[in-house]
Amino acid sequence: MMLEVRKLSAGYGRVQVLWDIDLSVGEREIVALVGPNGAGKTTLLRTLSGVIRMRGGTAEFRGRSLGDRSIEQIVDLGIAHVPEGRRLFAGLTVRANLLLGGWRTKNTDLDRVIELFPPLEPRLEQVAGSLSGGEQQMCAIARGLMSQPELMMIDELSLGLAPLIVDEILARLPDIAAAGTSVLLVEQDVDAALSVAERAYVLETGQVTLSGKAGVLLADKRIQESYLGIA
Amino acid sequence: MTSFLQATLYGLLQGGLLGLIAVGFSLVWGVMNIVNLAHGAFVVLGAYVGWQVNDWIGLDPFLGMFVAAAVLFGLGYALQRWLINLVVNGPVFITLLLTFGLDLMIVQAMNIAFSADYRSIPTSYAGDSLHLGGIRVPLGRLLAFGVSVVVTLALVALVNRTRTGLSIMATGMDRAAARLMGIRARHVYALTFGIAAGLAGMAGTMIGTVGTFNPAAASGYTLLSFVIAVLGGLGNMYGALIGGLVIGLVEAWAGQYLPGTWINALAFLVLVVVLIVRPSGLVGRAYYAARLEV
Ligand SMILES: Nc1ncnc2c1ncn2[C@@H]1O[C@H](COP(=O)(O)OP(=O)(O)OP(=O)(O)O)[C@@H](O)[C@H]1O
Ligand SMILES: [Mg+2]
Repeated sequence: MMLEVRKLSAGYGRVQVLWDIDLSVGEREIVALVGPNGAGKTTLLRTLSGVIRMRGGTAEFRGRSLGDRSIEQIVDLGIAHVPEGRRLFAGLTVRANLLLGGWRTKNTDLDRVIELFPPLEPRLEQVAGSLSGGEQQMCAIARGLMSQPELMMIDELSLGLAPLIVDEILARLPDIAAAGTSVLLVEQDVDAALSVAERAYVLETGQVTLSGKAGVLLADKRIQESYLGIA
Repeated sequence: MTSFLQATLYGLLQGGLLGLIAVGFSLVWGVMNIVNLAHGAFVVLGAYVGWQVNDWIGLDPFLGMFVAAAVLFGLGYALQRWLINLVVNGPVFITLLLTFGLDLMIVQAMNIAFSADYRSIPTSYAGDSLHLGGIRVPLGRLLAFGVSVVVTLALVALVNRTRTGLSIMATGMDRAAARLMGIRARHVYALTFGIAAGLAGMAGTMIGTVGTFNPAAASGYTLLSFVIAVLGGLGNMYGALIGGLVIGLVEAWAGQYLPGTWINALAFLVLVVVLIVRPSGLVGRAYYAARLEV
């Protein structure tokens, strides 16, 4: 597997948030990570991208340990983190935002990401803060892709977006994966996430409580009751 | 009429220098949310560096200002990288206190090293003047003005058009997101602070050439930087230049027609009036910052 996480624990100050997480992502794979608010999904992504330190366990990317690497070294390894709330540089143009995505790797070729998200093309000189929500999420994902990562972690893709737009953006993920960038997708919208992912993990209060093939999880009674509103 | 034109010219020339001083102060405030109370001390320290290299090897101050810029850049970089960065994410009050302490220490160090006497960096030409129909144009001030405007515009170009500038803008807007792009925020902060200190030092050498300076002058330059930065719009570099010209003019006119004690009061009055009419400053705030973690 490309990303192998074993018995990972992490937290903030005295508070431990993640307990013994086991998780993996393979080549060209889309993996969903779902769970209720406060489960620790964002914390897990932060730990993997080096924003916070892991407290125990291991995380290896292509056999290289993430635990003792800085954020920029993890970017160098080929991991991109599209943060919750998109976090575009609101006062800069879309073009500048995309160039910043490729800042570390010195990639300035916008063609590939524009091809994936054509609505961005006429907006390149527009200030990112003035984009619509859907365009902002496209821009955030495109910015993440600019470092030409082998793994992209997207936090709350659907946040604040209409279902139609969510579907439109989710529909790009298989292309992204096929082109060589695996996706670890954090989602509240379990139905949408499982429809596009091959495998999924359910995270509850800092522990993985369920995992498996997306199709199997979709049919699972516990998932249907807790997350899909099917009684 | 001639005296009015003379004062106006003098104000504009001085204003350019003030703009160069304030542009770094404004950049540091805009990017890092630090109100650097030691900024004026950097200006005066730059003047002493220019004076010292002139004293040692007779280096012309318009070359010595590059030495001052380099020394102050190094000092500014180091201070930010290994000291101010430790508290930069804390409340503004903490950085205010820290830079106030730095200001006291630098000023006191200058008092010990150079005494409190007024000095000036001598040249054979800065005191010469051109005459344009009854108006005197001091050569040194004209040169200082030209250098100030060119350097300020160069800084704007650096920030807006280069890779390094892009990383400064991005870190200023959203530090946590910039780090996810692989930008080393601590280095970028240090670079920004170093650039601001370097420009202050450069301006200081020129100030020491066209006028006099002593350690006690530091606080005055901090105050002017504050007024000009707010006037021009925080973090806005063109704004700092324009604000500098405005304050230069106001001071020159006030010096011409009002008792000397009015000068600073009038500068603040202009600030208050501008802020009432245009709360975001003359040119507007260039960027705003998100300081949440990702
Ligand atoms: N910076 C922080 N300091 C202290 N505790 C934090 C911090 N960030 C998150 N937490 C705590 O960690 C736990 C997990 O939060 P996290 O943001 O990882 O959850 P999440 O699964 O992403 O939730 P959501 O779906 O609401 O985004 C929560 O209990 C939260 O209060
Ligand atoms: Mg979250």
